[in-house]
Amino acid sequence: MISVTPTSSTAEVLDLENLTNEQTAMEIRNLDLHYGDVQALFDVSMKIPKNRVTAFIGPSGCGKSTLLRCINRMNDLVEICRTKGEIILHDKNIYDKDVDAAALRRKVGMVFQRPNPFPKSIYENVVYGMRLQGVNDRRVLDEVVERSLKGAALWEEVKDRLGDTAFSLSGGQQQRLVIARAIAVEPEVLLLDEPTSALDPISTLTIEELITELKSKYTVVIVTHNMQQAARVSDQTAFMYMGKLIEYADTNTLFTTPEKKQTEDYITGRYG
Amino acid sequence: MNHWFKSGKPWIWLTAGAVSVSLIAVIGLLLMIAWRGLSFFWPAPIHEMEVQTPTGETTILIGERYETEEIPVSRLNESGVFLEDYELPVLQRYLIKVGNREYVPLDFTWVLEPAIVSDTTPKDLAVIERSKDGNFYGYPVDVLQNGESVLTSQDNLRDVLFERIERAVEFNKQAMALQNDEISTINYQIEQLRLERRGLQLEGKLTPAEEDRIESEQTQLRADYMAIEKELFALRDLAGRDAVVMRDMRGEEVALPMYRVLDVTFPNDMNIFQKWAHFFVQVGKFVSEDPREANTEGGVFPAIFGTVFMVLLMSVLVTPFGVIAAVYLHEYAGKNIVTRVIRIAVINLAGVPSIVYGVFGLGFFVYMVGGTLDQIFYPESLPTPTFGTPGVLWSAITLAILTLPVVIVSTEEGLSRIPSTLREGSLALGATKAETIWRIILPMASPAIMTGLILAVARAAGEVAPLMLVGVVKSAPMLPVDGNFPYFHVDRKFMHLGFHIYDVGFQSPNVEAARPLVYATSFLLVTVIVGLNLTAIGVRNHLREKYRSLEH
Repeated sequence: MISVTPTSSTAEVLDLENLTNEQTAMEIRNLDLHYGDVQALFDVSMKIPKNRVTAFIGPSGCGKSTLLRCINRMNDLVEICRTKGEIILHDKNIYDKDVDAAALRRKVGMVFQRPNPFPKSIYENVVYGMRLQGVNDRRVLDEVVERSLKGAALWEEVKDRLGDTAFSLSGGQQQRLVIARAIAVEPEVLLLDEPTSALDPISTLTIEELITELKSKYTVVIVTHNMQQAARVSDQTAFMYMGKLIEYADTNTLFTTPEKKQTEDYITGRYG
Repeated sequence: MNHWFKSGKPWIWLTAGAVSVSLIAVIGLLLMIAWRGLSFFWPAPIHEMEVQTPTGETTILIGERYETEEIPVSRLNESGVFLEDYELPVLQRYLIKVGNREYVPLDFTWVLEPAIVSDTTPKDLAVIERSKDGNFYGYPVDVLQNGESVLTSQDNLRDVLFERIERAVEFNKQAMALQNDEISTINYQIEQLRLERRGLQLEGKLTPAEEDRIESEQTQLRADYMAIEKELFALRDLAGRDAVVMRDMRGEEVALPMYRVLDVTFPNDMNIFQKWAHFFVQVGKFVSEDPREANTEGGVFPAIFGTVFMVLLMSVLVTPFGVIAAVYLHEYAGKNIVTRVIRIAVINLAGVPSIVYGVFGLGFFVYMVGGTLDQIFYPESLPTPTFGTPGVLWSAITLAILTLPVVIVSTEEGLSRIPSTLREGSLALGATKAETIWRIILPMASPAIMTGLILAVARAAGEVAPLMLVGVVKSAPMLPVDGNFPYFHVDRKFMHLGFHIYDVGFQSPNVEAARPLVYATSFLLVTVIVGLNLTAIGVRNHLREKYRSLEH
């Protein structure tokens, strides 16, 4: 039995069903997803509130990572993957034909399970997204590097060795570098796909603190295996099971008084 | 025994044995080629032998002992040679290089060991290296200037000889420089003018004014040519002023004109340091000089240059092509049966015999593409083909196609080894697929691309058969790079070390003289390939270090 006590939700409790447009960062409407003949997501609908941390939890294979990858269309890379339904960003379905996936991903950044720095210097890693946008002015880039590394709580550790290869950093530092890289392009939404699962406890703690800070500027969506982590960092939590969104509520509520039996079973450790 | 088998030890012995055999084969091959090739440059002692002829007379032979062979007496008897008082079943015979090609019927001769009455190595024997007719062996006796002896006493013979040879060599060098630079430039310009005139004529724009201009320029060039030619002849006369008188093995004194003398050495009178110095000088000459005497003498510089130039040109062509093809196959092409068939076809392309590529290159590139280019761009020089004839460009392209599969396969291998998390990382930052490939994937795949290039270079540098059809010649008058605009003349034919080996070893009039050159050239070819490969490997290791894959 795992006992989970939410600690972080100091923010006001939102009515997730009836968010106003100003409060909503993205909205998922009736999303179905198939991998070939296998359906992986069933009619998922939810609203993701702005400047808050939303966590997706659920057992392995429940579709939480798949859902996350739908939000910035990373699933486009999987050839056999088909989606139906809508995801709305700024009143626009991101799956519309005229939406440029690359432009979308600049607005909706993503950090992956394992740190994946590029084989370049720390500096070049951070400015990669800026260079893609054609920014090559050294002064602008220097500024971006400092701001992003500070934003990812890495500046103090690396400011004297920005020219070193990114591989010289530890795993936790690499993951923060990747976060810095993602926020360097000033996205609106930051998707974190189990960002601490490859890290040691200390690094995990640092990243979790960082996530709480990030929400002041960005909307954060995090997928996690670790229920304590969801409870610690998120404002609202979605529980998924077998491709369906079972329950989506304020984190406090979901962990203390879940409505659904399945949710209760999962958070009390009866399966998963 | 059974236990021993089960322990796995036989397997270890077997595998280790296989490795040792390969190792011995490689090292043995290299050592053999290196030894036989390099020993050619070592100053061999000159023997003076008294030899009994079958008729009972004795003659004198002067020369280098080139080879020693054991031969059964019975075989000699069968061929009609009988030796008295010889008991043993086998005897030794020596191949003596006696040189002096214009005075003796054969410059190589076999001598049976029992027939040698005496064998000495007098210190005064000299070998004279000449630009024509090969080496001359004998005793220097006099130095002539305009037919008159300049010797005051026999003691300073060597000093005078060295000094006079140095002078002649200097003039020869100047004459050579004149011929290679200025005269060839003038010839080139005259030819360009002729082509310009012909071109204008073909276009119907040859006005009398133009004709006069070209005519006057040509006259000017011809006048320049005559002046330089006069200078050249003057230099040759200067070089030909002196002569060295040698007493050869027949006991006759012959005067050798200095302008043909390149060097004189007294190998019997050298200490070990002088021999080493001589060895290195000879090696240096071999790699830096032009060949002489139908490639059987002199150096192989044009062949080294041709090989390296052709391989570099091929690398420049094959790398972008192969990489782009691999990127398409791996990144863009659908993962379906067609892609698989194409991939298999590409891999099988590597198994096509190289001469087939030669035939294809000749038929397609030389005749079709080259012929068409000539008609479009060089109508003025027809019927003499410019690109419609074998040349270094067509050789490089043919070998590029030959090595394309290697580059494609290793590049694809490299692409598939790049972790997908990096691709996703780049895409998630708003990069398009093309940007991801260009900024992340290709730099990370560069070590694999270099591996492909290394394999391609190793294969191309050693390839001879297709080149014989598309551009290699026995002797190219000009290098494909020179000082005349546009400096790179990729339409020219070129010399190649691999073909040089074949030509010298099997097509030359004097096979005995050429054999050491075959080994020396082979050794050089191996050295050149190893050199090219080491360079590429160095670059690859540098890239590997730079793009070392993720380690957590």
